[in-house]
Amino acid sequence: MQIGSWSRALTLAIGAVFLAACGGGGQTSANLASPDKQILRANDGTEPNSLDPTQQTYTYERAVAIQTYDSLFRAKADSSDVEPLGAQSFDVSSDGLTYTFHLRQNAKWSDGKPVTASDWVYGWKHLLNPALAAGYVDPFFDQTIAGASNYGSVDTTSASAVDAYLNGLGLSAPDPNTFVVKLDHPAAYFKWVATLWMAAPLRKDVIEQAAGGAFSSTDTTKAEAWANNAATIIGNGPYKIKEIAAKDHITLVPNPNYWAAAPKLQQITYYYIADGNTAYSQYQTGALDIINVPLADVTVVRGDPKLSKEAKLIPTLSQYWISFNTKEAPLDDAKVRLALAKSIDRDKLVSDIEHGNGKPLPTFIPKGMPGYDPSDNAQSFDPAAAKKLLADSGKAAQLAKMKLLTRNTTGNKTVNQFLADQWQTNLGVTIQLDVVDSKTVTGQHLRKGVFDIYGLDGWISDYPDQQDWFDIFQSGSCHSLNWGCLNIPGYDALISKADAESDKTQRAKDYTQAQKMLIDTAVVAFLYQPYEYDLVKPYVQGLTVTTTDDQYLPGDSRYNQAYITQH
Amino acid sequence: MRGALLPSQLRAITSTRSGALAIFIVRRILWMIPILFFVILITFTLMHLAPGSPWDKAGGRQLSDTVINNLNIRYGLNKPVAQQFLLYIWSVVHFDFGLSYQYQNKTVSGLLLESWPYTATIGLLAFLLIIPVGVGLGVLAALRQNTRIDYITMGFATVAASFPNFVIGALMVVVLSVLAYKATGGNFYLPAAGFGIDDSLIMPVVTLALLPIAYTARLTRASTLDTIRQDFVRTAWAKGLPERLVVIRHILKNSLIPVVTTLGPTFAFLVTGSVIVETVFSIPGIGRAFVVAIESRDYPMILGTTVLFSLVIAVANLVVDVAYVFIDPRVRLT
Repeated sequence: MQIGSWSRALTLAIGAVFLAACGGGGQTSANLASPDKQILRANDGTEPNSLDPTQQTYTYERAVAIQTYDSLFRAKADSSDVEPLGAQSFDVSSDGLTYTFHLRQNAKWSDGKPVTASDWVYGWKHLLNPALAAGYVDPFFDQTIAGASNYGSVDTTSASAVDAYLNGLGLSAPDPNTFVVKLDHPAAYFKWVATLWMAAPLRKDVIEQAAGGAFSSTDTTKAEAWANNAATIIGNGPYKIKEIAAKDHITLVPNPNYWAAAPKLQQITYYYIADGNTAYSQYQTGALDIINVPLADVTVVRGDPKLSKEAKLIPTLSQYWISFNTKEAPLDDAKVRLALAKSIDRDKLVSDIEHGNGKPLPTFIPKGMPGYDPSDNAQSFDPAAAKKLLADSGKAAQLAKMKLLTRNTTGNKTVNQFLADQWQTNLGVTIQLDVVDSKTVTGQHLRKGVFDIYGLDGWISDYPDQQDWFDIFQSGSCHSLNWGCLNIPGYDALISKADAESDKTQRAKDYTQAQKMLIDTAVVAFLYQPYEYDLVKPYVQGLTVTTTDDQYLPGDSRYNQAYITQH
Repeated sequence: MRGALLPSQLRAITSTRSGALAIFIVRRILWMIPILFFVILITFTLMHLAPGSPWDKAGGRQLSDTVINNLNIRYGLNKPVAQQFLLYIWSVVHFDFGLSYQYQNKTVSGLLLESWPYTATIGLLAFLLIIPVGVGLGVLAALRQNTRIDYITMGFATVAASFPNFVIGALMVVVLSVLAYKATGGNFYLPAAGFGIDDSLIMPVVTLALLPIAYTARLTRASTLDTIRQDFVRTAWAKGLPERLVVIRHILKNSLIPVVTTLGPTFAFLVTGSVIVETVFSIPGIGRAFVVAIESRDYPMILGTTVLFSLVIAVANLVVDVAYVFIDPRVRLT
């Protein structure tokens, strides 16, 4: 998942646990608050654009979806592997092309009907319907599900063309408890794709009833008629929607038919407070139980004897970097790129600009994921070596004409000003900021390759598998995810091999080699792994905080195990 | 010329004052149609000239080219712009303002109906605060010109007009919510955010009303001072009329004409929402929705909101013009 700025929309962290059961306090019936007080109030920041999980893209949408819908799997708390959710287990055929998911037999919808394999087929086809153009559909058609790869060439105005495409997909339900997915290519990471929240089952009968009967596969209005109404959002997750107060809040209550033990939290209310300062005031006046601390208030919270005890610093499985347009001189020269990378003091960046909310990291894969290895120091801070590299290249004068493309947000301007200062101080090169309206950066600059240096750029794990990270820098991603477009000889072949490789040791070895290529050629300049700084009221207990959680909602992957103590 | 085109009965109607007023209102309402057409044309053109597409996000995950292509087809953005415009006009004629790009399967009219009540409630309450407080302070200051009352009132008006409302809003939150909560252990404080028909309205309404109050007070004072010096006021005093009667019947009625002129646009301004007040107090109103729509290039939402705002402003101006007829007998309906 691409990072553009500190916008809320960008975070989806899935990965290693760093803190288990941060509540800690022993759970006894003596300190448990009464059921009517088992209410959790948190800030989700932005209203979901849709409550249909298959049509969602952003983490503020996922926050609601993971409570209302179960995917086949989710990441284990330590993110070492997947653990069962909608499915109990799975088998992979010896050629790696057929995944057979054995569904949870006692799984029920919130209206009490059993969840069947055909619901999964229906949900996944809804996700892959090209007429609906779901935002997060790529991992399902891009070199994965059989028959899905021509997603982009289907005539979405023709119902017969869409039907033919959907019927040709490698999705089947041989019996009510077995969901079979056939792939085009072996994909060792596909179990992780099955943890993505938009790959949810859906109820054909409910959707058709809300639409007023069966409808054409190109009728996008009827296909989504159910998704704005709490009564027709029938899910298979631990909670169900009780109330939708548009743009203000959403209220969730336990799904009485959920397969796991009944949760203690009897109500979760997510508010949509866009301004971090407002949420902070609400937390201080006891109207919210969990918030993300705005950057401007981090120092105040750290210095406050009461608030600092309620604060949690949570690593995310993400990494920031700056991209170089390697299609133009002098940034096509690895020496120049390395000189820029080596003249940034990342410790100072994290402590001064980010108030300590991060980990300086001059390598690619963030801490907490397989493949994390900070030993390669090719991009580490070393002003003397940086100056020498630039002198060797003889392109200092050319470099001084380059500009740093900057999104017009306070956060981004602050960081980029810091970077420009670093280059001025440590390299003696003046690089101007080119500040541009955030909205137009992607379309007018990045997609067209019209920039010299761009930052902050970065990535947040969709799932803790290295494939999700290394695919970014494939040459085929030029001007889409790989904004800098560096084409490293042998990289594409190595990644394609590793993505399909079933031997774990060999796969890890290939990715290690690939990471070295990225760092040593300075495809981008890696900067730091951001951490989240959240406040949680002391009476919210039983949270299992993992890097899978939403950045605003620590522990939200397992809220059904949390509870409120007497206060 | 116009009279000649009317049937004789209508000509008879226009000859009476109330008939003329009715014709005036009908004509102004009919004029709104071309006005709205040009508002749509200009907004549509500017919207499409502005760089950035509805599918590019300011930050965060970016959609793939394949998905963007399919979205353009889904929402008809692959068609020529002129055709898109004609299709839009055609649906507006049928009172269909289309589907939002940002909120899936939600109609623009539904979204406007969802958020406008919040904005309208706060705007209306602020307006109801402005008339007595703004006009009252202005008249008071004028009648007691160059006294302490005048200086205090105008000092307040200057301060209120100088502070931007995000500063006032944030200050009020800190003092009346956060600090009050800490000081009283959570017993007495105003909610920092949210909407309800309760004490959560106080801070947003005051924040929103402060600037117009200050403006109205200064305007009323100036216009009242102007009126006080008129001959007819001197005559009223000379006749020995009691102060109450002089002020209400002779001074106020005349000094309020310029104030009424500004109250129309002020009302329109208040009920179309303030993005700052709605953001600071997290009110799910139309002002914030409009800015979010512009930021995300939600074309149908931008157009729908603009049309609604134009209507509100046009109607507010019409009401002011009609109000003139009653306040100022010199006004002629031509």
